[in-house]
Amino acid sequence: MTELAFDIREVFYRYRQVAALNWLSMQVKRGERVALLGANGSGKSTLLRLLAGLNFPQQGEISFFGEPLTEARLQDEEFFFRFRRRVGLVFQNAEIQLFNPSVFDELAFGPLQLRWPREKIRRRVEETLEAMGIAHLKDRAPHRLSGGEKKRVALASVLILDPEILLLDEPSGALDPGSQAQIVEFLVSCGNSSKTVVTATHDLDTLEDIADRCYVFENGRVAGQGTPLEILHDVALLERTKLIRPHHHVHGAGGGQPHPHLHQHEGK
Amino acid sequence: MHIPDGYLSPSTCASLFAAAGPFWYIALKRLKAALHTRMIPLLSVFAAFSFVVMMFNLPLPGGTTGHAVGMGVAAIVLGPWAAIVAISIALTIQAVFFGDGGITALGANCFNMAIVGSLVAYATYRLLARRASIGSVRRVVGAGMAGYTAINVAALFAAIEFGIQPLLFHDASGAPLYAPYPLSISIPAMMLGHLTFAGLAEFVISAGIVAYLQRSDPELLRLTAPGAPDLHEALLPQTALRLPTARKLWLGLAALMILTPLGILAVGSAWGEWTAQDFSDPQVRPQIAAASRSEAPPRGAPQGLRRLSSIWTAPLPRYAPAFIRSASFGYLVSGMVGVGLIIVCSLLLNGLVARGANKQAAPGRRRRKSFVEKTALGLVAATQQALFAEDMAGNGGFLQRLDARVKLAGIGAFIVAAVAVRRIWALAAMLAMCIILAVVSRIPIRLLAARIWLAVLAFTGVIALPAVFLTPGRSLYRLPVLEWQVTEQGLRAASFLILRAETAATLSVLLVLSTLWTQLLRAFRYFRMPVVLVAILGMTYRYMFLFLQTAEDMFESRETRMVGNLEPADRRRLAAASAGVLLGKTMQVSSEVHTAMQARGFRGEIRLLDELEMRAGDWLRLAAFVGTACIVVWLGR
Repeated sequence: MTELAFDIREVFYRYRQVAALNWLSMQVKRGERVALLGANGSGKSTLLRLLAGLNFPQQGEISFFGEPLTEARLQDEEFFFRFRRRVGLVFQNAEIQLFNPSVFDELAFGPLQLRWPREKIRRRVEETLEAMGIAHLKDRAPHRLSGGEKKRVALASVLILDPEILLLDEPSGALDPGSQAQIVEFLVSCGNSSKTVVTATHDLDTLEDIADRCYVFENGRVAGQGTPLEILHDVALLERTKLIRPHHHVHGAGGGQPHPHLHQHEGK
Repeated sequence: MHIPDGYLSPSTCASLFAAAGPFWYIALKRLKAALHTRMIPLLSVFAAFSFVVMMFNLPLPGGTTGHAVGMGVAAIVLGPWAAIVAISIALTIQAVFFGDGGITALGANCFNMAIVGSLVAYATYRLLARRASIGSVRRVVGAGMAGYTAINVAALFAAIEFGIQPLLFHDASGAPLYAPYPLSISIPAMMLGHLTFAGLAEFVISAGIVAYLQRSDPELLRLTAPGAPDLHEALLPQTALRLPTARKLWLGLAALMILTPLGILAVGSAWGEWTAQDFSDPQVRPQIAAASRSEAPPRGAPQGLRRLSSIWTAPLPRYAPAFIRSASFGYLVSGMVGVGLIIVCSLLLNGLVARGANKQAAPGRRRRKSFVEKTALGLVAATQQALFAEDMAGNGGFLQRLDARVKLAGIGAFIVAAVAVRRIWALAAMLAMCIILAVVSRIPIRLLAARIWLAVLAFTGVIALPAVFLTPGRSLYRLPVLEWQVTEQGLRAASFLILRAETAATLSVLLVLSTLWTQLLRAFRYFRMPVVLVAILGMTYRYMFLFLQTAEDMFESRETRMVGNLEPADRRRLAAASAGVLLGKTMQVSSEVHTAMQARGFRGEIRLLDELEMRAGDWLRLAAFVGTACIVVWLGR
């Protein structure tokens, strides 16, 4: 039996008046690539924050490799550093994630807080910049980066710690197709490594490339789950959760995966 | 209000830095305990906010606009201690990057505005608002008054700092080396400007933001309102408080301008305001003694006071009636001259700026710019200026190739030298040296001339000019009709002030145009600036750009939707509401950044990479800089 990275049981979470997670239960296995699908405000981002130990469930519980993930537990320095070392979250808004004065400092921030030796940090920063193809941005300030560059730096700032579990909040949102492809390429390469990847997205085009399993969210609950293929075929579910519009979606040249249409216009 | 370099002597600057030190220390200590891990993101982001708000053009009665410092709002939303740190950080970035306020005078500016300003604003607000509910009008008025009082007390401190300079520092001929006016001139001149325009701007922004927050984000007002009853929708005022209309405000202002100096006349011999004659007047002597706790006053007037009182009467014609030559009248005149100069200057500068901007716009009927447009333009200009500096810093000239630490310490030494020398030729030599440095660093001289030399001349020149006539000393020339005397000492005093301000401003611009902000931060770190401050400075600069962009978008979208002209009161409310929206966003960004930091292992104690050691060559270059500075100071002593 494979180990469970996250076990989420009956979790409830609300902001002021709005319930974001409604008695949600799901599991993430170790080494699995999971996609969280859902319209804006369906609770994906909230779940990622809970999994990253930034907010904590008001009801229910989450365990991390069998250990309860609670605020009190994270006060413990040893657990805190172990957890932060293993779990990395890339925020949806790169403006928030990039708070350091330069790209170099941005990458060095995580390792510094985790108390790596200084020499190792310098070396790892150079290696990661090289690996992500952003070495030329090293001394740039975040306000001088393009949207795609910001995303890549944000990703690099988390990857430098080489976390086993990667939580990504809309990694390809608002990017041009070229930058999007680079991110997807990276996520595909994660499939060959042993990384556990949880991606929140509403981009159906790349679903099959980036995920082994999908959960569809609706109002803070899981409305459906399955392999990417199963989900893409469940048109009723996708329409109900506002992931596609009945009248407008593209099947792509060369066929792709055909699916039945619920209604047809006369003459077709 | 931002004191430039060259107006205060090195010893004054040092004492004010020393005076500010304990406040900063206590503030950081307290904040660390109270905010724990939230402190760094909150202060950084708020400092970026106050920086951007200082760029807002606030419509004031009479069609003028003004800028606010924002200490009222800072103290109300953050509490006094956090406000001290946030405003100090904003002032530091203004001084280093935009030449607003000097680098040697940074201690003085922080002391006046960040420390005195925040504490006074907080005390005033608590005193006036007491336990009023969060939504009450009383809090709005309290906030406005907090801003108004704070900026005026801060201005008073600045005026005192200016005013003691001519008493303490002058060269062999008696010409003042720094700010040339005594207290009797500096106080009325500063206060009249602040009791009116600057104070009003501060009132508008503080009251406006609090009124906006009451409706949209009342939780932000909780911190400094302990014991206020819980908020009920019904308690909120249905309509926002209307600030008095333009006409009433103008009348009030005019009354203030006339009454303030009259008040001085009426009071006559208030404590500490005796004229030199009072000391020898047998009727007044008992009064002074009574007021001074029965200590017998000295027989003759103190030497300094006698000299002082002759200063303002000096330029007046000899045959003027006696009362015109009296001290009180001099007081009144200098006050009026101060206000007049400020108004004339702002009108002139406005005219110049408008003409320059109009050239780019389509020819035809000259249209008056709305404050929205002005603010949007100002925000764009600030962003561009910072980006331009970053580009310059990468162009590989002489200064650009130097290690940032060498530059920071070396140019710092030069600035101190420029403030310390006591001979005009030494200052001129330093200015020449700056020009050489600019040339070898590929910094266009035309840029320096337009952006620094002319700007400093316009500002400092206006302040220095009256000193030519007002400073007592050997008469060189008499103006034909007015019979005002141009004195040798006056000329020297004006030259000192202008040359010093020009040289120091040029040096700090050279530093900014040749050094990237990240390198500068590393240099700060190397010279043992506390890690917390380095981290906050870095984040402030970063989020400053985000907020400049946000504010710019806000004003530009406003501009595209605006039809016709708004009522002045509506314009003020619009400006305050924009600042309020930005403040709401500020607090949101601060908490988001906090979680982003936590996600990467931040636990409240920030860690930065240590800097690599300087190489032998770097030390040598630094020694050359400091050595030159020392030689100049010694030769020009």
